[in-house]
Amino acid sequence: MAKIKIATDWLAACAGCHMSLLDLDERLVQLLDKIEITSSPITDLKYPPREGVTVGILTGTVNNTAHLEVARVMRERCQILVSLGDCSVLGGVPLMRNQVKMEDALRRAYVETESTVDGLIPRSEELAQPIFARPLDQVVKVDVYLPGCPPSADAIHFVIGELLEGRIPVLKDQVLKYD
Amino acid sequence: MDKVVNIRINGRHIRARAGQTVMEAAKGVGIDIPSLCHHPAVTPIGACRICVVEIERQRGLQPACTFPVTEGMRVETESPKVVEERRFILGLLFSEGNHYCPFCESSGDCELQALAYRYGLDHWIYQNPGEARPVDGTREHFIMDHNRCILCRRCIRVCSELAANNTLGVKYRGAKTVICADGGVPFGESTCISCGTCLQICPTGALIDRKSAYAGRESQVERTKSVCMFCSVGCGSEIITRAGRVLRVEGEWEEHNNGVLCLKGRFELFKETRKRIETPLIRKDSRMQQVSWEEALDTLAQAFKKSPSKKIGAWTTCRTLNLTLSEFVAVFLGKIGANVGVLELTLARFKLPLGGSLNDLLSADTILVTGADPLSDHPVIGYHIKRACMNGARLVLVSDNNNEMRRFAHKTFSLNEMGKAVKFCQNSASPVVLYGEETPPEQAEKLAALQRKAHFIPLFPESNGFHAKALGLRANFAPSQMEAVYLLLEDTSLSDEKIKQAREAKFLAVHASYHSPITEVADIVFPALLWYEHEGSLYNLEGKKVAVRKAVSLPEGLIPENEVLTQLAARM
Ligand code: SF4
Ligand code: SF4
Ligand code: SF4
Ligand code: SF4
Ligand code: FES
Repeated sequence: MAKIKIATDWLAACAGCHMSLLDLDERLVQLLDKIEITSSPITDLKYPPREGVTVGILTGTVNNTAHLEVARVMRERCQILVSLGDCSVLGGVPLMRNQVKMEDALRRAYVETESTVDGLIPRSEELAQPIFARPLDQVVKVDVYLPGCPPSADAIHFVIGELLEGRIPVLKDQVLKYD
Repeated sequence: MDKVVNIRINGRHIRARAGQTVMEAAKGVGIDIPSLCHHPAVTPIGACRICVVEIERQRGLQPACTFPVTEGMRVETESPKVVEERRFILGLLFSEGNHYCPFCESSGDCELQALAYRYGLDHWIYQNPGEARPVDGTREHFIMDHNRCILCRRCIRVCSELAANNTLGVKYRGAKTVICADGGVPFGESTCISCGTCLQICPTGALIDRKSAYAGRESQVERTKSVCMFCSVGCGSEIITRAGRVLRVEGEWEEHNNGVLCLKGRFELFKETRKRIETPLIRKDSRMQQVSWEEALDTLAQAFKKSPSKKIGAWTTCRTLNLTLSEFVAVFLGKIGANVGVLELTLARFKLPLGGSLNDLLSADTILVTGADPLSDHPVIGYHIKRACMNGARLVLVSDNNNEMRRFAHKTFSLNEMGKAVKFCQNSASPVVLYGEETPPEQAEKLAALQRKAHFIPLFPESNGFHAKALGLRANFAPSQMEAVYLLLEDTSLSDEKIKQAREAKFLAVHASYHSPITEVADIVFPALLWYEHEGSLYNLEGKKVAVRKAVSLPEGLIPENEVLTQLAARM
């Protein structure tokens, strides 16, 4: 049987969700009998293949124009899109930035932080532009949600397991956690 | 007996009582219908709709918390239609304010979050506008974060129905609606008396206790049912601890205080800054030095043996528990034959009845308060009086000073006008009399005219005053005429004047929890426990024996006061 292709990427995320994925440990090795991870932020290949994958997993908040692009491409190239982790599902910590003016946030981050000397707000046209932060399902359609900060390895294992069985996972008990 | 009503809930036959709501009937047989705005301590208002159920022959879903049971009624509490509706309501609740749980203090203990888990919400159905609402941190002990508020109005109802303080309300409309104090002033500048009842009943993370925030979730803390020792009302409380540290104190819903505590009862414990006495101390070379229990007890016994029993005086605070009080009397009066007494007044001059209860207050039509200021000194009694007045009772105040209760009195008389006050109460059906130390005894005698129909509540100045009075102990402090004096202070302190008198005795022993001016001048000092380190009981002002429980373990090297007294007796 051909392996199920899974692609994953992160938006504005702390990498905790992907650490949790790695926490699958030997279960990850077992899963690799059935799945192929085509691309991820922690492998050489970063972008989901053009020919598409079955499952796409995104973590992190949609926080700038580059994230919009990553989310759009992932959506186009996967059949089932999983929104993984609180930042992706609910907006997460980056959502707090919405409560202050963008200019104030940039100034605080690049100029005023205690560790900064002669700071400068980067303004290059080539850089992604920050936008009003929002959860993934506000910019693309999401099929499966897995909240948690981060979701436990068990929860990730459950979700992938259900998808491999051809079911849309229904979260409850220990698998459903908001923090 | 109430009339029985036969109903079916989820197909199960239930005998409910007429007048019960569907929620109460279900709860009675262990069927859990979720609630957010409703809490058994307050009047149901049916505001949040999370408790909706399907009721046969009713159009649409109905809120179980307000819907009364009727004969033959059939109810479904978790049908697909009900579940869908609850998920919809939860979706709406999460779409307002900020319910991003990971950085919320209440996460793990929040009733809203628990329902989101129960109904499997794995994302926000309606997106959150993300507009920040204000946070009010103007009160000393707790914070209001409007972002977490779901406008269930439990806080408003406890404030008016239980604390009888009517501070809270709402302002603005629609999505802009917020809970406010006195129509919109900062909470810290409002009429709020910081009783913290709203804090305790809030189902979400909107009201946050500064002291215990982020210090432990429900699953990590221990709860010990006990009694507040800050006055003789003896409010039922729960002491919440983690790893031997007191995090917070909450009111016990099932006790006579109906879950309410006052500012003292809820927060006073955390203001303690005095230094704890950890070992027995003896004055040697004019310095207080640490000694063993053996040495300290031997020295104390020696001092008492040297003095004639008539020249030995022992006084205790009425804040101490039953066992210690009884042992104090047994050892000093029984064994040593010394002069004994208490440090606070015990209404000893009054020959009036006892035994009235806080419940009597709530059903009273006339309340006579004499020589006392319950709102300042027995606050939860004060709230009960205000509650009764809101329900139509008349307050008759007999007082000469600037009494806090004056604002709520229907009639005020001076202390020498007791006759008029009594007359005013004479034609009422269910009067309650509360009397305090400031009542002149000859005026108090006039209250006897009400004896037949009134309930009498004695307002003892200290927590175990009832038992001290029953033991015949009086506030007969006269240490200067003694050769040897023993003072059991526990965590109380003495006025400078009293310290001066005490120091006139040749030998002065002090048994106290904290260092204070008197422990500096004593000849010998014994460390005492704090009330929540004791396992014991006291009699509250209703005359009811209530259990005071040990909430934290005994500090190393400390011995409970009653045992110290027993060991002393063995040496005499
Ligand atoms: S109040 Fe409850 S639901 Fe809202 S953020 Fe806090 S824990 Fe979550
Ligand atoms: S502050 Fe708490 S109790 Fe008051 S309305 Fe808001 S959520 Fe309800
Ligand atoms: S602390 Fe007490 S008085 Fe103040 S708002 Fe809350 S319930 Fe009302
Ligand atoms: S009224 Fe008295 S017993 Fe009740 S909480 Fe206040 S101080 Fe404690
Ligand atoms: S609990 Fe019944 S309407 Fe809120």
